[in-house]
Amino acid sequence: MIQENLKIINRLGLHARPAALIAQTAGGFACDIQLKKEGVSINAKSIMGVMMLAAEFGTCLQLTANGTDEKEAAAAIKQLFENKFNEDF
Amino acid sequence: MLVLKGVAASPGIAIGTAVVVPSESFALSRQYISESEVAEELQKFKSAVQKTLQDLDACERKVGGTLGPEYANLMSTHKLILQDPVLHESVSNKINQQLLSAQAAIFATLQELAASFEKIEDPFFKERRHDIFDVGKRLVNNLDGSQRNFLASIKTPSLLVAHNLYPSDTIALPENQVLGFCTDVGGKTSHTALLAQSLNIPAVVGLGTASKDVHAGDPLIIDGENGLLVINPDRYTLSNYRKYQRDIKKTDSLLKTINHLPVITQDGHPLKLFVNYDPRTDNKDNKRLITDGLGLLRTEFLFMNTPVPPSEDDQYNLYLSVAKRFDMRPATIRLADLGADKIPDFPLDEFDKDANPFMGCRGIRLFLKNPELLRTQLRAIIRTACDVPAQVKIMIPMVSSVEEVRHVRAAFNQALSELEKEGKKPVNKIALGAMIEVPSAAIALDGMIGELDFISIGTNDLIQYLIAVDRVNQEVAHMYDPCHPAVARTLNLIIQTAHKRGKQVSICGEIASDAKMLPLLLGLNVDALSVTPRMYLRVKNNIRNSNFEHCSDLAQAALLMGSSEEIRQLIEQNDQHENS
Repeated sequence: MIQENLKIINRLGLHARPAALIAQTAGGFACDIQLKKEGVSINAKSIMGVMMLAAEFGTCLQLTANGTDEKEAAAAIKQLFENKFNEDF
Repeated sequence: MLVLKGVAASPGIAIGTAVVVPSESFALSRQYISESEVAEELQKFKSAVQKTLQDLDACERKVGGTLGPEYANLMSTHKLILQDPVLHESVSNKINQQLLSAQAAIFATLQELAASFEKIEDPFFKERRHDIFDVGKRLVNNLDGSQRNFLASIKTPSLLVAHNLYPSDTIALPENQVLGFCTDVGGKTSHTALLAQSLNIPAVVGLGTASKDVHAGDPLIIDGENGLLVINPDRYTLSNYRKYQRDIKKTDSLLKTINHLPVITQDGHPLKLFVNYDPRTDNKDNKRLITDGLGLLRTEFLFMNTPVPPSEDDQYNLYLSVAKRFDMRPATIRLADLGADKIPDFPLDEFDKDANPFMGCRGIRLFLKNPELLRTQLRAIIRTACDVPAQVKIMIPMVSSVEEVRHVRAAFNQALSELEKEGKKPVNKIALGAMIEVPSAAIALDGMIGELDFISIGTNDLIQYLIAVDRVNQEVAHMYDPCHPAVARTLNLIIQTAHKRGKQVSICGEIASDAKMLPLLLGLNVDALSVTPRMYLRVKNNIRNSNFEHCSDLAQAALLMGSSEEIRQLIEQNDQHENS
């Protein structure tokens, strides 16, 4: 099992487009991937789950990946956060 | 007879019988199933998901063309919602374990999800529950082999009454069977309004209770000219509206005969007549218009209703399709005039809600504080000019000083040289001009005209700023007066200053399509007017029936007058004379 702390550094937070990116990326891996904010944990493969976190700029999330490809999955999701979901903002 | 007042969203008169779109509550046909039916219900759910995915694909293609990329993006979000593992797990569990029918299972899941979204405080995230319901509605509609799609089942020409119409509804709309729309909600720029305009059918929105007041089969009149809905009209009203409808048709068909004729006064004074074009409301009639070019492309809509600013590519694709439509003719693109009443959803640098927004950070002021937005839009426009033969012109909104022009010119040159390094060069030199709508820019125009390639007068805001009247404020709105002597004198000053330096002046604003004001504008020697497609032929006809020399005399007389009353009288007398 892999755990990572991820900070939201894009100004707009996890609105529909980043949520879609996370769900799509997570969906490409076999392992179970959870995102947790203030005690609420959701399935990162669910766009509705990610949007429901209503995570804004500056929020810290805990990522948990558990399964055969957990390493790659965690790295891919981390990359999305670090690249600000390809938003310049 | 009952008359409801709403917002005129698309012009014209429609008379016919009502079809009322049922509200979005899900009527459950069956709650529980027996254990032997579980497999069948699961299969039903699966097929409905597949069918809905196909619908959304088709919809994405269709709305991408008419309603722009933001709605196409919305459809791809809807597809992800549809494939969401949480949705599938929850629905399958409810069918398997609680023995709910597929329909009941979807319904219960949607309610649970909506309840979770309801708890979110942030309004932007909270709004997403509407997307989930739109997806849910389609899913339920597709459960029983899709025969229940209400809109597709309309077989006779009718008037559509709905609480709200979703972008996704548009795909099901049978062609030529809907004569007009009306909805309880929505404003002048809601997608319902845009859709009606692109279909060239009358529409009234924001009616409040229409979908409850109207019953299926009721005789109706949708008055898209005045924003009225007449339910069960009496015989007198009906015959009046029939006449009104005939008059509009007659004038329209007469006007079409002048489409190919030049824009020139009776005594041979030529004028350019441009069109204010909105790609979202293009229709067959607009496409047939022969114009001198695009006088004003407003770009604010690209920045509204989206959580992120539009990308360079998104903007480029839109400008390209617009400029191509105007072939070799000029295509004027205005930099986004954000601020005032057009506040985007995405956060902006140093942007607080102004107490007095029309005098606050709007137009070029806002762009200069957010240079990245300016750079992106300039690059998108320049790239367009590299790929089309049209003469692309860039218009700067809300200019109040020459320094602003210089800043934009510098950003423009910078973008130009960046793109040149990437191997892109405009086909024609791009003209950079300003919208003159702030009195300081009008009065000190001599100081900035040398740095501008053209100017366009935005009369709506210019009059508002000249008289210091907020058109939205009911207490003072009546003081908004195009006949004020300060208006004629300021227009004259602008036109004279520009002509001294050999620069052309166009006017875009409601005043340009006002038949009574036209002689004054012509007489002040304006070079071009820019009007909406709908008013285009009417204005052309009025110009062709004018006498330039006579208009010049009228303008000179108006410039000597000291009160609105005198000028109004002059204009009214002239109008009566013309019509007699």
